[in-house]
Formats: sequence, structure tokens, C-alpha cells
Amino acid sequence: MTVLEIKNLSIDFPIAKGVVHAVSDFTLNVPQGRRIGFIGESGSGKTTTALAAMRMLAAPGRIAEGEIHLMSLGQTNIIKLTDDEMRRVRLRKISYIPQGAMNSLNPVMRVENQIWDGIIAHEGAVSMAELRRRSKAVLESVGLADHVGRLYPHELSGGMKQRVCIAIGVCLQPDLIIADEPTSALDVITQRHVMQTLRKVQETIGAGLILIGHDMGLMAQSVDDLAVMKLGELVEFGPVRQVLEAPKHPYTRQLISSVPVVGGQSFLDNPPAAAVADTTPARTVPLLEFEGVAKTYGSNTALHTLSFKLDDGVPKIISIVGQSGSGKSTMGSLMLGFSAPSNGRVLFQGRDINRLSAAERMAFRKDVQAVFQDPYACFNPFYRVDHALAYPFKRFGLARSPAHTREEMEKACRTVGLNPALVLRRYPHQLSGGQRQRLIVARALMLSPKLLIADEPVSMVDASLRATILKNIYDLKDKQGISILYITHDLATAYHVSDYVMVLYRGHVVEAGPPKAVIGDPQHDYTRLLIDSIPWPDLDRNWGSADDARADLDRLDPVAANPIFRGAVAGFELATA
Amino acid sequence: MADQALQDTTKPDGPALTRAEIRRRRRYENPWFNPKLFWGAGILLGIVFVGLVGRVLWDPDLVFTGAGVLRLPPLGFENLRGQAGVLNHPLGTDGAGRDMLALLIIGAPNSLYVGVLASLIGMSLGIVLGFSAGFIGGRTDDVIRVLSDVMITIPPLLILVVFQAAFGDVNLTMMALLIAAFVWQSPTRLIRAQVLSMREAGYVQMARLSGASTGHIMFREMLPNLVPYLFGSFIANVTTAIVTAVGLEVLGLGPQRIPTLGRTIYEAINSGALIQNLWWWWGLPTALLALMFIGLLLINLGLDEVSNPRLRRL
Repeated sequence: MTVLEIKNLSIDFPIAKGVVHAVSDFTLNVPQGRRIGFIGESGSGKTTTALAAMRMLAAPGRIAEGEIHLMSLGQTNIIKLTDDEMRRVRLRKISYIPQGAMNSLNPVMRVENQIWDGIIAHEGAVSMAELRRRSKAVLESVGLADHVGRLYPHELSGGMKQRVCIAIGVCLQPDLIIADEPTSALDVITQRHVMQTLRKVQETIGAGLILIGHDMGLMAQSVDDLAVMKLGELVEFGPVRQVLEAPKHPYTRQLISSVPVVGGQSFLDNPPAAAVADTTPARTVPLLEFEGVAKTYGSNTALHTLSFKLDDGVPKIISIVGQSGSGKSTMGSLMLGFSAPSNGRVLFQGRDINRLSAAERMAFRKDVQAVFQDPYACFNPFYRVDHALAYPFKRFGLARSPAHTREEMEKACRTVGLNPALVLRRYPHQLSGGQRQRLIVARALMLSPKLLIADEPVSMVDASLRATILKNIYDLKDKQGISILYITHDLATAYHVSDYVMVLYRGHVVEAGPPKAVIGDPQHDYTRLLIDSIPWPDLDRNWGSADDARADLDRLDPVAANPIFRGAVAGFELATA
Repeated sequence: MADQALQDTTKPDGPALTRAEIRRRRRYENPWFNPKLFWGAGILLGIVFVGLVGRVLWDPDLVFTGAGVLRLPPLGFENLRGQAGVLNHPLGTDGAGRDMLALLIIGAPNSLYVGVLASLIGMSLGIVLGFSAGFIGGRTDDVIRVLSDVMITIPPLLILVVFQAAFGDVNLTMMALLIAAFVWQSPTRLIRAQVLSMREAGYVQMARLSGASTGHIMFREMLPNLVPYLFGSFIANVTTAIVTAVGLEVLGLGPQRIPTLGRTIYEAINSGALIQNLWWWWGLPTALLALMFIGLLLINLGLDEVSNPRLRRL
């Protein structure tokens, strides 16, 4: 039986320059109990389509054409319903679990009151005992204990908040659940748990599910059918196995190939060679050195005592991987001198970077550059993008003349694969995230630093561009001889680009060594769990049930910091304690 | 979401745009091209213009006592004594025979002057203190924050009444300085909050990586992005300063020898203009003040649309 039927749907957004066709001629059926994935890049219209079914399009968007039928309402077209009739359909027939659900809970209401809200709005006066019984049952169904209902949102973790949102979404047993990137803000371990919970609840109540996302791996592990969208059009639709194994549309093929897989084909032309034995004599002064560095914020320890030496001989990529809150970004900011360590010293070419004279500081700034996570924030919206490239170039005294600066800028753009005529002299908002991130890489290239800190450089870029940008960064090491510290939560890319990997968990290094050993054959419980939780686009792999995920999470708590070292690479020494 | 499909927007081949549509589109593209801003600025510039041209075309000496017959109504009206308005005093005269038109021509720019000067001084203080508090942080931040919080809780009129009473007669600039001491707190807090959030912004981090000095980061990277906020805050402050100034004048604590709108209202109230039905005496300056506030409000609304694109409608 079909739950939702979308026929020839077109959605328009009138803007200053005319009309944007966000969705055009979209037709799709959602059968009962089936999970359908909408996948596509940002701007492909997947969220817009789902919101149209809820009649919650943001102004000025409007449905230009088409019909949406909800089967339990007979042949009524949802688009024709009055606002009050539509209000009664929402949550009861179709529920929506929004993106970043952790911020959609009311911070001043207890969790159970927020569940009751929906019940009362649809069923009128319900006795207190009944409300209690139902909120308890629904919280149980998403694996939350009864007492959670009495808590406020700030007392819950991100994964718990997300499960509360699922509980609210299913409390009236709707026919259809729309989940809009429900796990995009969660780390992989929590993501697995939340996704499995969502699947379990959906199976129990037998509703249809529309899962919106951009992660092919997550889709492969979670849905039955896959709808691939590009620029508002449905380019491919079919059972997930068929789409993954025999993609018809080139765009689908591109999406699939852009997911890096541990152990699979490398996306690099010349992947790093296996660690060679140390033949060159070690230099006396290492490029970067952590001397018993620890960082605490109040009573919280963000980074436990750690020492390492990075040689400046052969350039290397050192990856630092871990979940959010593992201390990896703290390490980045310590290396850049943005924050001072609570204990120990950070040395660059033998000098303490927090005790530099003005001239030395300038030289340090030139030699240590960074690529940050958010390409949207890295450009001052007031200036053209040239400012970000030209200013440091002039500031560090590299520019000989305005013409020389311009020439260097154009050269750097071409090196990272951008057409200078299309990106320079533009304002940041005129460029896409991928273009901006490449410009930041180009900026680093112009300054030719000795060390580059890349802090999650591709996590906010569309999947199809990630490989290209990582290639650009990899080329910095390969062709320009820049050593790179690659900070990421993505083990698959770390596996491919790095020479050495450190896995961080709650400020401790838990496993370290060459990537083939650490990620290819993990020994530490945490590393193994991290790798098991990554959704691969591999249908035959068992991702485990919600209970497994829960058991894994519980098991993790007592993990002590007994680092496992898996062999060394030349020019890099690591020690803890 | 809609950005990606921007290239394939339709329209050129659609029905031709009406002139109103073109204007709306242009407004959407360039927020400074905004009718509210336009009208607000127009009203205020109009008042200044009348003040300047009026001094040439009309005799400013008519503001002195006994320049004309007492309590004449505006042209076309009759007062309670049955006297009709005369062309020599088109807006009538007050209880001391001063010409109302001359009073407005001289008084309105004076009130505006006090407001703008006080606000300028307050804003400058606010920018310096707000940036210091937000950017330097630590002890500096504590001191500035506590100081501005304490100052916000003190009702300015109370202090000013004491000050003015102690100083006796003051001139306009003196008064602006006194009021400025009470309008720096809210810009300070506003700028401090903006600087705090901007300090962590990617482009500020990028500037630090580029070896930029503190001065460069504050004034070249951050300040340009604050311009709409600063304008908005400035206009709001002008309003507050004028309200405070007029409040003091109506209490009889303003400058004694310089005509201002507030002082005119004070004299009208004191001479019982309200019960003698001398409406033009208190009514005209009040109406002009109202017009001034409407102008300021319109500018503020327009600036809101500039700094907050979500308020813009197509």
C-alpha cells in the first residue's frame, strides 16, 4: 500500500532576478513500511520536496504545480487542504524530524511536556495518567529510560536529544516519518546508534520513512530505495542495491565514487609509500615539537600530557583522528599558538611559540599556516576574496609589486584547479563552499609555509568535492614539500592520505602508528568501534542493531588510556605521559 | 538552498517588468536603496534645511521678547480675544510676543544639534570601550562591563537634573556633553557582544594567521562589518539624546538664553497656554518634535533592513 504519493511536483522560489526552480517535475511513491532515501548535494531540492509534503515551505517558496496525496486521507490533495486541516495532518499522519534536532527542543520545557504537547494538540484533553503512560512508552521505544522524561534538554547528550526528537515524531504513530539529516551533527558512533533506533521504531509502527542525507554510506546502511536528486530533478530511483551496484546516471556514479573506503581504491594518483626504514640521520632541531604538552579548561582536561617530535626532513602528513570532544581541535589551536598549553611547551624549530619576539612571531606565522573547517566563515564578507590571498602575501613581504601579487594569485588558483578569471575579484558569497576552500588552500600555497594545520578541511564541503580538495592538500606535501597535520573525524580519508595516524579519545592518544596498521587492522577497542560505526556503502556489511550500538557505547566508558603503538615512521616520534 | 539554481533563472522572456517591480528588485539587491531610509533622511534634512534657509529668508531677531503683539494666533485663526492672525507672524506669537516661526527655525536645529553631538560622543566612547572590552578581554572587560551595567541602572534624568541645577545656565554644547555621559553604555554593550562573537570568526582567525596586528584586525577586518549596526545604534542614540534634552528643557533646566523646542514648551506650560487654548504655542513645537522622531524612526527601520537581510521582502 502506498502511504504518500507525489505527482509531478514543481516548487518555485521567486527571487530578485526571477524564479528559481528548486524542484521540477518530481514524481515518487512511498509504500507503507518502506524506507526511502533522498540523496543529493546541498541545493538539490531534497529538503524542499520533503517540506512541501508537510506544507512547511519557507517563504517565498511555493508549489507551482503537482499533487501530493496522503493515502489515509483518501484522494484529497494535501496542497488543497486548509491551514487548520493541515495542522491536524502534521505529526498525526506525517511527522518531521528536523535537521539539527538537538536545537529544536524547547530549552525551558521538560522532555515529557514536549511529547505531551503533540498529543494534546491532536487529541484534546487527555488524562495525566494516560499522558504519562504514553510518553513513557514512546521514550522506551527509542531506548531512553523513564526518568529522561523529567529532564530538560540541556541535561541530555546530543544523541539523546536526537532520540527524544524521534520519540516526539512517532508518539502519534504517523503513516510517514520524514527525517532530515537526523545525524548530521553527531559523531559516527552516536550516529549508528540513533540511525538504528530510528529504523527499529519505524519498523515497529510500520510507517514509511523518508531519510534525507548526502552520505552514500549512511544511505546504504539505512534505506530500501534510493532517490538521487540533482538541481531539483530526480535523476535516478530504485532499490538501493540496484542503485549502488549498477548506477545508471553519471551523477550517481560520481556520488558513489566520492565516498572514500578504508582499504579500497585510493582516490590519490600517487598514494604515500609504505613507511621506509630510517636511513637519513635525524636532524638535531625538529620542525615541530610538543614537550609534555597538556591542556586543561577549568577542571576539564582537553588534552592529556603528550610529547612528539616532527622532523623537517621528508615532508609527512600526520593525521589526528577522533570524535568531537576528543581534543583534536585543541591540539590544532595549540600548534597555531592560538592558545597556550597549561603544561609543557610547544616548540617550532626549537623555539617556544608562546615566547617569540615580534619578528620571530612574524616568521612563525609565515611558516605555519592553516586550513579551517568552515570555508564560509574564512572570508571577510566585506572584502573581495582577493583580500584573503593578497593581504598575507604583502604582509609577509613576499610581494614585489601589485602585478607580482596578482600573478602569484592566479598561479596559485590554477594549481588548485580554479580558473582565476571565475573566482578572483568576486565577493565570498558569490562562490561555492568548495571554491572557497580551494582558495584557502591556494592561499596556503602562495605563502609556502613549512607546516600546514588542516582542521577538518573537507567536513563542510559537498561529498563530490571532498576528494578533489584532499588531493589539492596532498599535492602541497607531495609537490611543495609542506608537512601537514591533518585533523579529522573521517578515518577513511586519513587512511589514504597520511603517513602516520594518531587516534585521540577524550584527550588521550589511544592508538598510533602507520595508517595501514591502525585503521586497516585496529587493535584498540575504541579504534575498532570507531571503524565499525562508519557507514560504508557496502550492502552486505552488517552495521549491527540498535542494541549492539548501545552495548558498544556502554562498553566504551571504562576504556582506559593504554595507548597501543603500532610501529613508527621515520622522522616522527610520539610519547605519552 | 536556492543559490545553486540561480544561473537558470527565468524572466527575460516572461512578461515585461512593470516599473514598480523593477524598483522592488533594485531595492532587494541594494539594501541602501530603501524608501524608509530615504523618507527618514528626507524629513531630518528638511528640518535642517528649513533651519538654514529660514535664517536668511526670515528675521531671526523675531525670537526676542516683544517682537510682536502678544498671543497672536497663526494665519487664518482667531484667538480668544478675537484677534486674527497676521502675515507678519504667520505661525502666531507666544505669550511674550516672540514670533513662533522664528522660534521653530532657530529652535529645531538646536534640539537636533544637541542630539547628534551627544550621540556622536557617546558612540565614539562606545566604539573604543566596546572594542577594548570585547577584544582585550580579561580585567579590562570586567571593568568596562561593570561600569556600563551600573550606568545603565542609573536614571539619567535624575542625575542631569542635579547637574543642571548645580551648573545654572548651560550652553548647548555643555548640555550635549552631559547627555553624552549617559548614552555610551548601550553602544558599548552592543559592540562588545558583536566583537566577542566576531573574534572567533574564521576570517579573524585567518587575519591572525596572516600576521595582522590588533589594530588591523579591529579596524580593517571587524569594523567594516559593524557599520550597519553602528549606524542603527547612532540613530537610536540621537533619539534618546533628544528625548533627554527636551525632557530637561521642559523641566526648565535647559539653556536659558537660547531658544530650543523644549524651552518653548516649558514656557507655554508655565504661562498656562494649555487652559487658555493657545494651542499653537505648545502644539507647533510638539508637532515638530514628533516629526523629528518619525524621521529618526524611519531611518532606524531602514537601517534594520540593511543589517538584517531577512527583513527584506521582494
